Amino acid sequence: MTPLEYVWSGVLAVFQGPELFSVLGVSISVTLVMIFCGFLLGIAVGATPGLAGPIAMAISLPILISVFGFTPDALLPVMGFLIGIMKGATIGGAVPAILFNTPGTPDAYMTTLDGYPMTQKGQATKALRVAHFSSVSGDTFSDIVLIMCAPFLAILVESYLDLPEKTALLILSLSFIAAAVGGSPAKGLVSAGLGLLVAYVGTGQDFYPRLTMGMPAFGQGFPLAAAILGVLIVGAVFHELAQYWRERDAERLETKLVEDASQSLSLANIRGLMPYIARSAVIGTAIGALPGIGSTLAATLGYTVGKQRYDKRRKEDEPAFGEGAPQGVAATEAANSSVSGANLIPVLSLGIPGNTAAVFLILAAESIGGFNPGPSVFKFDAERVNPELVIAFGLFTAMILANIMNWTIGGLFMRSMGIMTRVPKQILLPIVLMLTLTAIYVQETDMAAVWFTLGFGLLGYGMRVLAISPLPFVIAFILGGKIEDSARQAFAATGGDPFFLVSSPVAATFMILAVVVVFASTGRRRLAG
Amino acid sequence: MPNSSRVNVILGWAIVVFSLLLVFVWIPLDTTTGVIERVRRQTLIGDSMAPMIAGIFLLIGGALLLVFERKASDQPQIDPLNLGIVTLMAAVIAAGFLIMRFAGPAAVEINNLITGSDLEYRLLRDTPPWKYIGYFLGGVLSITGVISLAEGRFSIRAALSAVCAVIFMIAIYDFPFDDLLLPPNGDF
Repeated sequence: MTPLEYVWSGVLAVFQGPELFSVLGVSISVTLVMIFCGFLLGIAVGATPGLAGPIAMAISLPILISVFGFTPDALLPVMGFLIGIMKGATIGGAVPAILFNTPGTPDAYMTTLDGYPMTQKGQATKALRVAHFSSVSGDTFSDIVLIMCAPFLAILVESYLDLPEKTALLILSLSFIAAAVGGSPAKGLVSAGLGLLVAYVGTGQDFYPRLTMGMPAFGQGFPLAAAILGVLIVGAVFHELAQYWRERDAERLETKLVEDASQSLSLANIRGLMPYIARSAVIGTAIGALPGIGSTLAATLGYTVGKQRYDKRRKEDEPAFGEGAPQGVAATEAANSSVSGANLIPVLSLGIPGNTAAVFLILAAESIGGFNPGPSVFKFDAERVNPELVIAFGLFTAMILANIMNWTIGGLFMRSMGIMTRVPKQILLPIVLMLTLTAIYVQETDMAAVWFTLGFGLLGYGMRVLAISPLPFVIAFILGGKIEDSARQAFAATGGDPFFLVSSPVAATFMILAVVVVFASTGRRRLAG
Repeated sequence: MPNSSRVNVILGWAIVVFSLLLVFVWIPLDTTTGVIERVRRQTLIGDSMAPMIAGIFLLIGGALLLVFERKASDQPQIDPLNLGIVTLMAAVIAAGFLIMRFAGPAAVEINNLITGSDLEYRLLRDTPPWKYIGYFLGGVLSITGVISLAEGRFSIRAALSAVCAVIFMIAIYDFPFDDLLLPPNGDF
């Protein structure tokens, strides 16, 4: 098959997959419907403070797998649904930030700075329109970069990197994630070290499962879903509940929505916003392409760069940044939304998850089977069909479709989601907790998995209390086995060379960078502190 | 701004001690192959290598905390009350799951005592209403308990929300699927 035929097969896999129903004789595939449903759910959870895309992904994954089974046919509907959630949650997070000064997702915090003052001035709908337009523009730009870059990066890695270099690249990625996520490189390393350690319990090549202390319960290792959902979801729910408990008697801010007449977003308005959106989209995409650096940093940088530009050009009668400037909302939303597409570049091209949404896409791929994100996906085999490549182009198609939905109906749906902020968090979160534990059980069918999840939940809570980001833990847990396998193969392939990680210039450069990135971040942090 | 919290120092020492114990005690005692192994004239990486790398990550992280971040201005303040409430919540959930585990078989035993029949829960684990007893009771108790702890009081609204939520979960995880088992039925 030629590359173009692969692209076309991916598109057809989405549109001509198993039919769910037909409208006027036109077949509607199940994947299309799943992307749509995921997208609507994503907007709803993004607009609900305390919930976020990853929680919806965690709860829905076992249900989706039960519905679609463990066959390669399940990959596109399931992953399409998850992509829909990812896209929807990105715009949904701005709703409570603008209407009620409560960010629905952490990266929407910067949106409150100008979004909420706009609401107070009676421009809530206009602020939501600005947020939606900027968010979708940034996201679309990011997706285009992903589609253009991921295959080339993968081909580059596959062509020029051998086993020792790939092992060194994995170590560099882990070290980079540890250094970049959460602000403290030391705590990032601790988080990654714990993730690796947990990944190695009960595994290994010897007959005796290592590090189990003789306990049969640990003999099979920790289930992937229990560790990931425990640390990411259960830990977050405990943290939110503890915060709610602490602040339950605090006075709630009630916002009365009063709107003035001009709520539309004119062409002149859009022209004025475009320079801010364009800069933020580039910033967000560049940051998103690096594994582990989240959308919060992108939003902060986008806002700062936008503010510098705005301060130079602001007219006397226009509000400053922080006082209800639409440009502030645009700069933030374009930056944080453009991270989501680019975040998939390291996943699809290197198999390295860079954020929580990517973690769940990998979890789905590993649970279903038949698709292993990484450089081998992009093998343009002319003789035989590479089904993984068809799936990859199917995923790109799903992302484009989710963007089209976002452009067409996303704004309308987003603006109707203000009601979600009224869902009481203290009732919703315990239900989410039980849903997550039930989801784990139906997937593993073993009560031990529930106890493990609770244990990892407490670990995740403890990490949050100690200001240790759980993301390096999760990524290290996922990459742990891959690093070990790759190192074993590289060691064997080099004839037992103990210096295999530094014997080639590329591998040595990666290893030096792995050390430099940690110490440079530590030094920078020390100077800043 | 100066920060009086000593969290980083305590955490740093704890991590350093743990990583040293891991590298020098736990891994050697609980792994059967070394860092490098020679098997049939081939030199291979043993099972100890990867955990050693994890230990090194921890050791460097702990040491960096002690050396460079001991006086960091963004150290968290630990609130024992918050830790206490989360421990209580986890205990309530654990109690709920224990009830979930044993309520179904207990109901069958009580039924056997009353009716004189000889039913076994293992054979009824996929038969309504038996299969729902444990999940319903344990689920309602867990959710109600956690909501009550978060709100600082018990309320009828909490209990009703829990009942509705558990029925909803049964509806999405059990009704449509023949091959899925609700907790704890897969353990029988």
